[in-house]
Amino acid sequence: MRDLALIIKKELSELLRDKKTIINSIVLPTLLVPILMIGAIKVTQLISEKNQKKTIRIGLVNAPKEFMTLINNDTLNKMTIYSRTEDFKTLINADSVQTALVFPPDWNTQMDSLETSEVQIFRNGTKDNVNDRVRSLIDDYEAQLKNKRITRLKVPIDKMTPFVKNYIEIGEQKELIGKRIGGFIPYLFILTMWGGCLLAAIDLVTGEKERKTIETTLSLPISKFTVLLGKAIVASLLGFIPAILNLVGLIAGLKLIDGIPDNFKMAINEMLSPQSITLILLLLIPFSIFLSGLIISLIAGATTFKEAQSKATPIIMLIILPLVLAMMPGIELTWATVLVPVLNIGLVVKEIMAGTVDMTQYAIILFSLIAFAVATIYFSYRKFSDENAILK
Amino acid sequence: MIQVQNLTKSFKVVTKKGFKKETSTVNAVNNVSFECRPGRIFSLLGPNGAGKTTTLRIIAGIINPSSGTAIVDNVDISKGNEDVKNHIGFLTGSTGLYERLNADETLDFFGKIYRIPETKLKERKEYLFEKLGINEFRKKRIGQMSTGMKQKVSIARTLVHDPEVLIFDEPTSGLDVITAESIIDLIRESKQNGKTVIFSSHIMSEVDLLCDDLAIINKGNVIYNDSFENFKSEMKAENLTQEFINRIKEA
Repeated sequence: MRDLALIIKKELSELLRDKKTIINSIVLPTLLVPILMIGAIKVTQLISEKNQKKTIRIGLVNAPKEFMTLINNDTLNKMTIYSRTEDFKTLINADSVQTALVFPPDWNTQMDSLETSEVQIFRNGTKDNVNDRVRSLIDDYEAQLKNKRITRLKVPIDKMTPFVKNYIEIGEQKELIGKRIGGFIPYLFILTMWGGCLLAAIDLVTGEKERKTIETTLSLPISKFTVLLGKAIVASLLGFIPAILNLVGLIAGLKLIDGIPDNFKMAINEMLSPQSITLILLLLIPFSIFLSGLIISLIAGATTFKEAQSKATPIIMLIILPLVLAMMPGIELTWATVLVPVLNIGLVVKEIMAGTVDMTQYAIILFSLIAFAVATIYFSYRKFSDENAILK
Repeated sequence: MIQVQNLTKSFKVVTKKGFKKETSTVNAVNNVSFECRPGRIFSLLGPNGAGKTTTLRIIAGIINPSSGTAIVDNVDISKGNEDVKNHIGFLTGSTGLYERLNADETLDFFGKIYRIPETKLKERKEYLFEKLGINEFRKKRIGQMSTGMKQKVSIARTLVHDPEVLIFDEPTSGLDVITAESIIDLIRESKQNGKTVIFSSHIMSEVDLLCDDLAIINKGNVIYNDSFENFKSEMKAENLTQEFINRIKEA
């Protein structure tokens, strides 16, 4: 244990004196979530403000007066009246108008005789702002016409309303939000953890070869297993610490950033209770050791940083795919998914955050992760003991 | 004292032929035996790839032999190779120093690993720093040091636990003459202190300067093993380098 502690202390001192490690493992993870939050809020606000101030150019054919009055109510709308249907596809592509509405020539007659008519709306589906604003104008106009018809037919309003939809939410806000965004949290943690473990493991194993210190380390009166375990623990720490800092950044972001809806804030605060955080961190400890063991066993034979990166990087797909699956709405934590690494973390974190975790399933996931961690450490020890690979 | 007894080290070599892989076994060291005595300097000579580094790595406990053994300062390396490392100071061109530590921290780390009591470690560190002139840059990180400074710290870390056996594998390779001189001095001084010293080198002038006993190794086999005095008396060529080349060619 004494030797292990000395190795850990030495490796940590070395790594934490490297600017690259400080930036990747401490600065970036802490600032990532608040920056993402601020960025998302600001961008959304900016786009919405910009859209509201934008003028939209509407082409009209045979438009009734009432509809034109509605359009004129908003001074940002600009109308171009056409006497007949033009090649609106070309006009919209050329940006002469952004949308065009073609009413039939006998629109007023059809309306007076209470017939169902048709309005052709030429639009580009990708222009959300234009389409949303035109849709709202049409909806308002349609509502006006409906009311007129109801009055003319002398039908009481309540007769036209067969039922009122009254949704009674029985799920807690925490459960709803937890299930919806809970999958995003492990995505963030695990990718940060992967990045931290990868950089540290490469520096501790391949970096030692590049700096010609591996032989020095192996000439010490300590077993190879202690050396490997020390390196794996330090690599895990450098993966685990950024994950915690991610969490700190998330909590700080929620507390300090303005513009987050209060109900969302409250639900997230409830989700990130000390109990939930403890349950999540407890899973991340064996998982970070599992990742470090896996990475070390993959890169043990690499002689350069570049070679090590190219050997380990493809594994990211095996991490991302289960995480993406875990974010999908239909995928739930079941006895079938409980033993699938990465996917099980993604799903169980969702359950923890929603407050619906089954503790038996949680315990099985925790033990399976410990077993995987032990297996990868053993495997990485085998690779680290391979004289051909390590002294290459 | 080092007694190398029938040491053999085999490596598996994988050769790729298209999609096929062929595995063969190569003996890097083949049934090697020699003895290095305290107070004497033993030179291990041989061309590149002869098996010198492999032999020295086995003696230092860095790699395990396939068969045979070495007894280093009464410790049999075949009975677990960690203890033997406590008796050895190992310095080679590839035993670099941890670049982000300074000289002080480096010696503290090595001293603690060798389990030197704190007070003794402090005394030993001060003695070596004074002797090697490290004091003025003891707080500087290794990565920021010149090659000469690094070499001095390397020597200090090799000697921190005052080992009975010193192993040097091409220790002056790539160094300037002034830095190389510090290594030569160290080897000489170790001999005077009654230590067992084994070193490998390509530089015949160094061998001539330091050597008491020698072994020539070629393709993993020892082709000559005797005192340097006898070697010189048996020489047919005009100089050491030519004699060495001739012996390798004849083998």
